[in-house]
Amino acid sequence: MSNVIKLPRLSTLPAWFGVLVLEIFLLVVMAITQPVFFSSSNISNIVRSSAIPIILGIGMTFTILTAGIDLSVGSVLAFTGILLSGFITHMPRVTAVLLSIVITTIVVGGINGILIGKLGLNSFVVTLGTLGIFRGIAYLVTNGTTRSMDTGKLINTLGDGNLGPVPGPFLVVLVVAGISIWALKSTYFGRDVYAVGGNEFAARLAGIFTSRVKMTVYFISALLAALAGIMQVGRLQSAAPTAGAGIELAVVAGVLLGGTRLSGGVGSITGTVIGLLFLQTVQNSLTIQGVSSYWQQVVTGVLLGAAVLFDRFRVQYSGRRKSREENNVTKE
Amino acid sequence: MTSRVSMVGITKHFDAVKALQGASLELHAGEIHTLAGENGSGKSTLLKILAGVIRPDDGTIAIDGSEVTFGKVRDAISHGISMVSQELSLVPHLSIAENVFLGHNQTRGTLGIDWRDTEKRAVDVLKRLNLDVDPKDEVSSLPQHEQQLVEIARAMAADSKVLLLDEPTSSLAPNEVAALFKVVRQLRDEGVAIVMISHRMSEMLDISDRFTVLRDSKFIDTSAREGVTEDWLIERMVLNKPKKGIRLDKSSEEPELVLEVKGMTDRAGAFQDISFNLYKGEIVGLAGLAGAGRTELVEAIVGLHPRESGDVVVAGQIVAHSTRATMNAGVVLVPDDRRQKSTIHDMSIRDNLLLAIHGRPQTPRSKKAEEKIVSDWVSKFKIKMSNIDAPISSLSGGNQQKVVIARCLETKPKVLILDEATRGIDLGAKAEIYQILRELAAEGLAILCVSSELSEIFEISDRVLVMHAGDLTADLDRSSIEESDVVSAATGAKK
Repeated sequence: MSNVIKLPRLSTLPAWFGVLVLEIFLLVVMAITQPVFFSSSNISNIVRSSAIPIILGIGMTFTILTAGIDLSVGSVLAFTGILLSGFITHMPRVTAVLLSIVITTIVVGGINGILIGKLGLNSFVVTLGTLGIFRGIAYLVTNGTTRSMDTGKLINTLGDGNLGPVPGPFLVVLVVAGISIWALKSTYFGRDVYAVGGNEFAARLAGIFTSRVKMTVYFISALLAALAGIMQVGRLQSAAPTAGAGIELAVVAGVLLGGTRLSGGVGSITGTVIGLLFLQTVQNSLTIQGVSSYWQQVVTGVLLGAAVLFDRFRVQYSGRRKSREENNVTKE
Repeated sequence: MTSRVSMVGITKHFDAVKALQGASLELHAGEIHTLAGENGSGKSTLLKILAGVIRPDDGTIAIDGSEVTFGKVRDAISHGISMVSQELSLVPHLSIAENVFLGHNQTRGTLGIDWRDTEKRAVDVLKRLNLDVDPKDEVSSLPQHEQQLVEIARAMAADSKVLLLDEPTSSLAPNEVAALFKVVRQLRDEGVAIVMISHRMSEMLDISDRFTVLRDSKFIDTSAREGVTEDWLIERMVLNKPKKGIRLDKSSEEPELVLEVKGMTDRAGAFQDISFNLYKGEIVGLAGLAGAGRTELVEAIVGLHPRESGDVVVAGQIVAHSTRATMNAGVVLVPDDRRQKSTIHDMSIRDNLLLAIHGRPQTPRSKKAEEKIVSDWVSKFKIKMSNIDAPISSLSGGNQQKVVIARCLETKPKVLILDEATRGIDLGAKAEIYQILRELAAEGLAILCVSSELSEIFEISDRVLVMHAGDLTADLDRSSIEESDVVSAATGAKK
């Protein structure tokens, strides 16, 4: 077999490559047609508004990699904000922030993790339940009202402000994504996440404690949802029981766009960051173009369908090529 | 020779089913030990217990003379025991190197896992197995026999002293088997104790140093290679059950051909070039071991399993490869797995029975007509139930199977194919189903019956087909065969 033109193999490129190309294409188009798009205030707007979905998406990537899912993240985000609003008047702000995060992580991660990891219940059902529970608690405690508060510099920087010239939320994403990429690539736990999602029986046979791995990813997801909850408070200077309602579906869409497979075992944080950044850019572009927000939902849906379809073709194409090559080898 | 592993009095129940009753296994360093027995004799369970995957109810395991208990897989691994399971236990989208060191054996550096060193070590291990591949490639890019070597490499990387191979050759071609055996012998010479399960007679005799035979979840016999022959093994594996059953006399008319399967090969490599005929009014048994390709074959005939080539011909007409077309042509299948493939648990007996004729010309026009059809079958097959609108899951396995058979017959077929029709069904219901099949055959239906139970094959068949590793190895007339003929053909033993 001799190829006249040597093209890079579609199957060797990372799954998020297609979305990255689209993102760059979109940026170029917007730069040409809408000069206001590249104004520093708009760019910083995109960065700030995508930070929270990306933080949630990173947690979601861990759970989806183990062939699970965490639908409770939006509710947990709101729950943490309400918790913070209760603590913040009674203690120093740093303590209030840490306490809210720790309590949320232990309670939510504990419920999701034990039911899914230890008892083997279905992750969709369990987290659909916690989605309802923690949203409900947020409404009950506040009676449906939004609580304004004086957040102070730290919380504000996490969610909205700048640290020097750099937006605070951008730094949070950088740190969380950096640690997650490292953990998934270079720690035993990270590799166990892929192994459990790729072939749970094989992982068990290799001596990996699969239930412990599954439990841990729900703790991580709860921890990051709690962090996102603090960031949301910093962004809005208030805690609302409606915060992050429905965001879990947009987050899942971004994670899947980034090439993580719902069946587990395949995916990356890099893909998740690019996927969610792309969704945010699309939304921002449509807004600037004056397209109604109803259409934005349609576009998001179409993009998700297209991305999953593209991935299917990519896998089939590489599979077919492989079997052809094998046939050729045996014929020679 | 010292005993490396000694398992004594191992007992294991799964609910009410006894998988092992006081089984034992004695394993020496530097030997290849074959665990022989028929399907369901408890071989795999015994290996899984030794690998720590399953906990025994009773019995003791000793390694190098000291007693151990395995609560989890890691306990077994830390005692140097590794298992290469029947279904490939690799993580398909991870690299070859990573699969070799799966389970925290990757090299640890200062900043987490050191991938460069891990890959280097992978190459070293794979070289010992004569496998020259790029450790960075996804393991799923390798052909299956090389994937299996990666699993063995994992055991070697963990410095295993005991290697358990559960049917390692079941999906390999002859030259690949030879390559695998070369590696296995090499490991034996290095002092590794190896237990192997195989269903291929020639292979067992070729490679083993010692044999242990299990039958009906009990230990039967153990012996060194000297003195073990095919007959020795078959005698111990098969309990010669008396052949019984009332045969209906066949008419002396010229048999009428109803179904021809011509040169059929599937796409997944489960079977190749299968041809046979089915005549009106006969019951044909299809025997063979698990994994011989029988289920794939019958599912390919009715359009459920992808075919590469070959035709199904009914009454002179080639039938398209689709379930609908096959059913229209008069060929129906009762699948092997009732729970997964045939009953819809929460649906009523009525709806389950009428499922196959929904939206067809035979669909009953009224509730009354429906009830008549269902109650006719209920009385004909003596289905025991409270009422026809109860969920089918409320019935016993045997009665569920009768509903499924009735569903198939309501399409007025010419050919009925049954895959493991009596699996998990108690003896009384089994006898009733056999009787039903005989009556149907007497009425002119052609019946193909896949079964792993030899006693069943002998009880009902007019003719026996045998498959081994995807080939049709025998077509035997009922009047002239012995059980051992079938066993030989199913295990690929040479006569």
